[in-house]
Amino acid sequence: MPERQYRTDISAVDVLPQVRLVDVTKRFGQVLANDGISLSIMPGRIKALLGENGAGKSTLMAMLAGRFPPDGGHIEVEGRRVDFASPREAIAAGIGMVYQHFMLVENMTVAENVLLGQEGGFVLHPAAMRRQVGELAERFGLGIDPGARVGDLSMGERQRVEILKLLYRESRVLIFDEPTAVLTPVEAESLFAALRTMSGQGKAIVFISHKLEEVLSLADEIAILRKGRIEGEFLASDVASPAYLARRMVGRDVVLDIERSAVDQGRQVLDVRHLSGAGLDDVSFGLKRGEILAIVGVAGNGQQQLVEVVCGLSRPESGEVDILGQHWAKFFQNRDWKGALAWIPEDRAGLATCRGLNLTDNLLLTTRQGFAQGQWLERSRARGAATDIVREHNVQPGNIEAQAWQLSGGNLQKFVLGRELYREPRLMVAEQPTQGLDVSATEAVWQRLLEARKTAGVLLVTGDLTEALTLADRVAVMFRGRVMGLFPVTDAAQVERIGSLMAGLKD
Amino acid sequence: MSPELIVALLAAAVQAAAPILFATLGEMLSEKAGVLNLGVEGVMAIAAFAAFITCHATGSAVLGLLAGGFAGALLCGLHSLVCQVFLGNQVVSGLALTIFGVGLSNFLGTPYVGQGTNGFHQVALPLLSDIPVLGAIFFRQDSMVYLAYFAPVAVWFFLSRTSLGLGLRATGEMPAAAAAAGLNPQHLRALGVMSGGFLCGLGGAYLSLAHTHLWTTGLSGGRGWVAVALVIFAFWRPGRAVIGAFLFGGVMAFQLRLQASGTNVPSSLLLMLPYALTVIVLVFSAARAKYLKTGRSAAPAALGVNIEPEG
Repeated sequence: MPERQYRTDISAVDVLPQVRLVDVTKRFGQVLANDGISLSIMPGRIKALLGENGAGKSTLMAMLAGRFPPDGGHIEVEGRRVDFASPREAIAAGIGMVYQHFMLVENMTVAENVLLGQEGGFVLHPAAMRRQVGELAERFGLGIDPGARVGDLSMGERQRVEILKLLYRESRVLIFDEPTAVLTPVEAESLFAALRTMSGQGKAIVFISHKLEEVLSLADEIAILRKGRIEGEFLASDVASPAYLARRMVGRDVVLDIERSAVDQGRQVLDVRHLSGAGLDDVSFGLKRGEILAIVGVAGNGQQQLVEVVCGLSRPESGEVDILGQHWAKFFQNRDWKGALAWIPEDRAGLATCRGLNLTDNLLLTTRQGFAQGQWLERSRARGAATDIVREHNVQPGNIEAQAWQLSGGNLQKFVLGRELYREPRLMVAEQPTQGLDVSATEAVWQRLLEARKTAGVLLVTGDLTEALTLADRVAVMFRGRVMGLFPVTDAAQVERIGSLMAGLKD
Repeated sequence: MSPELIVALLAAAVQAAAPILFATLGEMLSEKAGVLNLGVEGVMAIAAFAAFITCHATGSAVLGLLAGGFAGALLCGLHSLVCQVFLGNQVVSGLALTIFGVGLSNFLGTPYVGQGTNGFHQVALPLLSDIPVLGAIFFRQDSMVYLAYFAPVAVWFFLSRTSLGLGLRATGEMPAAAAAAGLNPQHLRALGVMSGGFLCGLGGAYLSLAHTHLWTTGLSGGRGWVAVALVIFAFWRPGRAVIGAFLFGGVMAFQLRLQASGTNVPSSLLLMLPYALTVIVLVFSAARAKYLKTGRSAAPAALGVNIEPEG
């Protein structure tokens, strides 16, 4: 399929952008979170910012909201350069954010939340505050009781409170971070209607999402962010299909040259048959020792639920799951810490480790049975093992007394990987193992996963097509809880179709 | 008991309630901003001494009162520094403040034990004091008690009717929301802790300037702890703090009278009464909160949680 280029020179439009990002760069340690981003945000238009988790969307928005300054480049508001020292200055410049986690005080009323920090006068008049907020809500068609306590409201109503906060501050740019993530479909529809109303009244709307359909149905302009860079920018009317967006979003450029030789495949380590329920729809696949099976797809299409079942966090609602030849329930009833299942969760700083514990204690989190002597822990042996892991996997700083939070993301991930490999698993589940890592850490993680094939089957859940195609023997594409296709990476014709499959198109 | 005795007892209860009320309102301000301050006992002790020594030296009760208030604010500023700048544990820092405050006031006060000071005296309010019964109970008190009548209204007005109070409450509930609204949660917390400390200081000053008119060790006598418990009893509402303080003042006055009347109940048992009441009140508050099951807690949501710097 020939690659069509959708390039619209949006800067040529004859209106002054409300906000312009000029070559904005932000670095966290070794990781380049935003790399030379230039974007124009126009009044009266809805711009969608599309990207996977970890693509740098949040960092970009945090800089717009004045939470931290860019390392390079700058931001312009109405053609004038601004340097926000605090969120307050960004608000004053007319930039407002609706965060994914609402910034609302549950114990206060709607009116109090809306007027917080903007009361205009030292003495408050609650009745006047309620009236003011009620009138504002009316004007933008956001029905809400201004006297209600926020803690008693639904998620959709709370979001309306957030929007009212911005409207009250007369924000001219409204930025929404994954606004539909917490909404029911009906609430999402009414949010879209409100967004169109606001854009019709000249507000510039920025809409961050990874849901392709809603982006296409709502946005005027679409910018794709990938690995901290703008991957492409188009007018929504120019985009032919969600498949194209999906492919651009996950990319497939080869960044690293990884030696990958085939490994003899052994016996079945995971067998999933007709697994349904909890967002999954008739998922079936098998995994043998010696192979890597990549589960790809846009985040939120059932990958999380699948991992939870395979790792024993939630019970399969219907269908069969066999792990290492044992039935699911039996396997998790008496599983061994060693030689069985190991899991590298997506949230390495939250689920995989305890931030306030040192590396030895973090090692013991999943391996404590191996260091148990009756009721006692053999800490000296654990320290030895932690030292070995740190040395073997080149974890910096090479000090086992360091606490988890002191390690960079890449080093923490290398340690987690080392810990899980120490358990000599026969089934390994790796979830977004290189998300947010720099190139060298990514390469190290990839090498280890390839090595792990010698003794284990690896289930790799990733939103990064490059990673999937570099490492995996087979790829399964998920969409809305279903496996849309399952094929070897050597099947070039099928690989070409991954983008379409991810968007739910099965032609 | 004769009617005169009951009126005298109630008047004594009002007087005993005043310092507890000041301290309770002070602790409430601090907790509303999200900072638990278990140092009230120590703050009151230091403030009592600062008030005493200032009044002793200058002869001015008003200067003594102000000295007590500012000593309280200063000491709580230390708590604020430990918790907000160095992210110290609020419980530990508060307990340290209590031990430090009580110890320091006893140490500095040793040469003055038993010495008197002028302080505040009874002022019968014209007209009001002539009201039968009520006049004798409420309006033949010292001027600090009259100040205590205004304090809950002022605190209520500040917290629920001013923009600063709204920001302060938001900081105690969700500092991130306050920050997103462009407020500075750290400044608001410091304001809550230190203005609360000022009120606790007034409570301490009351003890040496109006309650005893002389310096003695252990003047605070556990009232700081009672104040901490009363904030919970009051569900963080200034109006209910008045009821709680009067209840405790009543028990304190009652046990003093009973001791003075030469009853054969052991005095240590009587001295224990206010603290037994503290335990009962806390059990009652917890039970009530559980019974109501409104799904909302009366305590500020971010109480006791330090604001971590970003990154």
